[in-house]
Amino acid sequence: MKFTLNKKLSTALSVISIAYLIMAYQLPEYTLVPVDSDVIPKILGYILLFLSIILFFLKDEEKKEASLPRKEIGMLLGTAVLILFYIFLLEIVGFIIMTTLFIFVSSRFYGYKKYITNGIVSIGFSVAMYLLFNELLLVRLPSGWLPL
Amino acid sequence: MDFGGLLLGFEFVLSFQGIFFVFLGVFIGTLIGMMPGLGPITAIAVMIPMTYGMDPVIAIVLMAGVYYGAVFGGSSASILLNAPGTSSTVVTAFDGYPMAQKGQAGKALAIAAIASFVGGTVAVILTMLFAPLMANVAVSFGPAEYFALMFMGLLLITTLSEGSTTKALISAVLGFMAVTIGTDAQTGTSRFTFGSMNLLDGIDFLVVALGLFALAEVCFLIINRNNKMQNTANLGSLRLNKKELKEMSGPMSRHSVLGFIIGVLPGAGATMASFMSYIMEKKISKNPEEFGKGSIKGLAAPETSNNAAATGSFVPLLSLGIPGSGTTAVMLAALLVLGVKPGPLLIEESPEIFWGVIASMYLGNIFLLLLNLPLIPYISKILQIPRQLLISLVVMFCLLGVYTVSFSTFDMLILLVFGILGYFMKLVNIPAAPFILAFILGGMLEQNLRQALTISNGSFDIFWNSPTAMALFAISLLSFIVPLLFRKKKMK
Amino acid sequence: MKKLMMILGIALVLFLAACGDESASSNGGAEGSDGDWVPEGNIELVAPSAAGGGWDTTSRMVAQVLNEEGITERNVGVINKEGGSGSVGWAYIAERNDPHNIFITNPQIVTSPLSGIAELGWEDFTPIANVIADYAAFVVHADAEWNDLNELMDDIKANPQDVSVVGNSVAGGLDHLQFLKIAKAAGVDPTTVKYVATQDGSAMTSLLNGNVDVYSTGLAEVIEQVRAGNIKVLAITSEERIEGDIVSEFPTAVEQGIDETFINWRGFMGPGDMDPAAVAYYEDKFKQVSDSEAFAEIREQFGWSEVYMDSEEFKAHIQSEHDAYRELLEDLGMLKQ
Repeated sequence: MKFTLNKKLSTALSVISIAYLIMAYQLPEYTLVPVDSDVIPKILGYILLFLSIILFFLKDEEKKEASLPRKEIGMLLGTAVLILFYIFLLEIVGFIIMTTLFIFVSSRFYGYKKYITNGIVSIGFSVAMYLLFNELLLVRLPSGWLPL
Repeated sequence: MDFGGLLLGFEFVLSFQGIFFVFLGVFIGTLIGMMPGLGPITAIAVMIPMTYGMDPVIAIVLMAGVYYGAVFGGSSASILLNAPGTSSTVVTAFDGYPMAQKGQAGKALAIAAIASFVGGTVAVILTMLFAPLMANVAVSFGPAEYFALMFMGLLLITTLSEGSTTKALISAVLGFMAVTIGTDAQTGTSRFTFGSMNLLDGIDFLVVALGLFALAEVCFLIINRNNKMQNTANLGSLRLNKKELKEMSGPMSRHSVLGFIIGVLPGAGATMASFMSYIMEKKISKNPEEFGKGSIKGLAAPETSNNAAATGSFVPLLSLGIPGSGTTAVMLAALLVLGVKPGPLLIEESPEIFWGVIASMYLGNIFLLLLNLPLIPYISKILQIPRQLLISLVVMFCLLGVYTVSFSTFDMLILLVFGILGYFMKLVNIPAAPFILAFILGGMLEQNLRQALTISNGSFDIFWNSPTAMALFAISLLSFIVPLLFRKKKMK
Repeated sequence: MKKLMMILGIALVLFLAACGDESASSNGGAEGSDGDWVPEGNIELVAPSAAGGGWDTTSRMVAQVLNEEGITERNVGVINKEGGSGSVGWAYIAERNDPHNIFITNPQIVTSPLSGIAELGWEDFTPIANVIADYAAFVVHADAEWNDLNELMDDIKANPQDVSVVGNSVAGGLDHLQFLKIAKAAGVDPTTVKYVATQDGSAMTSLLNGNVDVYSTGLAEVIEQVRAGNIKVLAITSEERIEGDIVSEFPTAVEQGIDETFINWRGFMGPGDMDPAAVAYYEDKFKQVSDSEAFAEIREQFGWSEVYMDSEEFKAHIQSEHDAYRELLEDLGMLKQ
């Protein structure tokens, strides 16, 4: 028997549904209402389990365009890493520096080679956003290292 | 109908000052609405201290402009980047983005602007004519009726997407599961939070939408980053031919009414209205297969509806003093600052305020159209930015959008998680739309069901005894069963 | 791959630099010539909620008065830190530990840690000053059979399953607890009270259409409906009647023989172990806000009551509330184990 895409998916989904069900069964009891907080989650868990079993026996649809070329995995992972660094450093380093760096570095990463345009856009975007939010909208973005 | 009242309202608004402030408001509002994550709620909240001390009528005029601008502004990012800035514009991306990808960005934005204008204007007229009557409708809905409404929405989920029904259902269940994360309102129990305080309030809708739609799309843009966009010749053109205008007129007339009615119901709101309209339009369409691929109807329906609903949500506020949505709750605070106390007696005691609001809504809509149509060619040029640079900006837009909603870096991590999930779902052909719809409806469905059962001490009689709820159940069952029967016949 | 390494390198350098810098931000402010504390930079009022909520509106209006009336030398801004019913914002303040970052709060900072929702609680922060207060109101439909609070409470005692109470907060939240606090004093077993939580503003409509019987909410939210004759107020939770046009007609629970009050106070707190000089600085500024005419007008418009407490009074007040809530949550079985 070939392990088709649907079968793989079905396995993954049943694992999710069982994990979810286990957590649902561990929810603390609250006696003051007729329908407690665990009822709907339990129903959802069983429905997902049931659907994943059905999926197991379904034939795969014809494959459409969506496939992932091997060499692009690095690009996607790189993007995720960049985003993670942005998230962790934003409130420490500050909005302007991080945003400028993010836009500049990631555009370069995707292969944009016009350094001057890139620099102008990334600085312009972050400064404009910062001013707009902080000065006009009174919504504060972190200033970080810059003495603002 | 009180024409004198309306004239009074226009008298207040149609001064040089009034027009100036409507214009200013629409401009600021559109700008704020285009900002990632900022929608009408933030737009009004930040305007509150600014209007402090202003003449109330002028301040209301300004607010109405800001409000309409912000509601509309969110559409452009949805259409151009597949990155909805606020929850009510998520559906706009379903057909708006494919249209823009086909090189019809200008046209898509023009459709959105016109549909918004029609939806908003029709809803103002309906508000003016039926505000007190509709107020009764708003009050007639209780938990049982809301449950029936949400149930109808959920049952129709499967019609949202092409392909495998099983996969659509799986997507919906996953979306429903995602919304069970957080503190359960009825019991105060925290569910599936893994001990993280950041998850106690649940996951923000916008985080899910930006992740599943925008970030997942970014992955495909990255893979195809060196391809140039096709057909950019007419990118900024907003010319609509007669056939297209005719195609729009049906959905616009239907959904300005439907959106208005859903908007009037406290707690339902513009996001739900846009979804319901989209589903309904697809359901009655002769070519449902066009939906999701750049259908004009699929874009006009939700855009009309969310604007009509936005206006409709003013009905309970102005006629009863009950804010039915987050936005109108902020609006209430804004009115309080100005010394206006919205309540059941507002129309009687301060007609100039009520009619001032109505008149400024008319003006706000008109100015919105006047301001935005000429800007569309410039806004659509965004798509001509080189792909490699545009991708970075879109990612930034999503991150900033999430950050300005909650100011929490944790939410940005959740965004990344949903981005990855969205990408995988696309790879294995699980549609994202049912997920997001179940995420919206599921939470309300569960809470309303349990509210109803708490009130009835666990008895289901509360549903059988409500004619409205029974009617809604009947409609949903019929619309589910009838197509099945037809399909069977066709197969024979 | 080379590109990836380069990016990782840059990011690493940044990260290390950022970690090294963290210690610098913790001690802000300067001693003035006479030993007073003065802010060195802009002051941030943290609202641990989204824009548009009660905390947000209060802090924005306070900031408005501080800036417009020139009470502070430095600019005062509001930042929103939403999440975890406030606990995300509290964690932020504790982590910053900077006297320039203070936050607005209400009794939730007492109840949340008690019910285990939040890890941090009021004991981890320095109470600075209370600015305003809101009182709860218990309202019923105009046609309801009850005419005063005692009639309602007696009915709940007799047939608790027939009376549903609706509120805008989650179970264990303030709208729920404020009702139970009074009900308990009236001799009702709090575990028998049927509470329905709504979170989408449909509580008032549910009351008007008869789905629920009692709405437990804030005083300001009911005035217009009472004026229109749609609902009647059975009780408010202040010590004495409130002055004002309509509100003076609302009976208190105390005058109906139920000797209990509920105050939804709203005040500012700073990080734990805050410099007493900084506390004194803020106390003075908030006192000026509270006394200003501009703020009096704002209070009037929002229906807030003037309740100024300095740091000491504020702290003592919270301490006394702490025990009452503890007992109530224990009765409900919602106390953190």
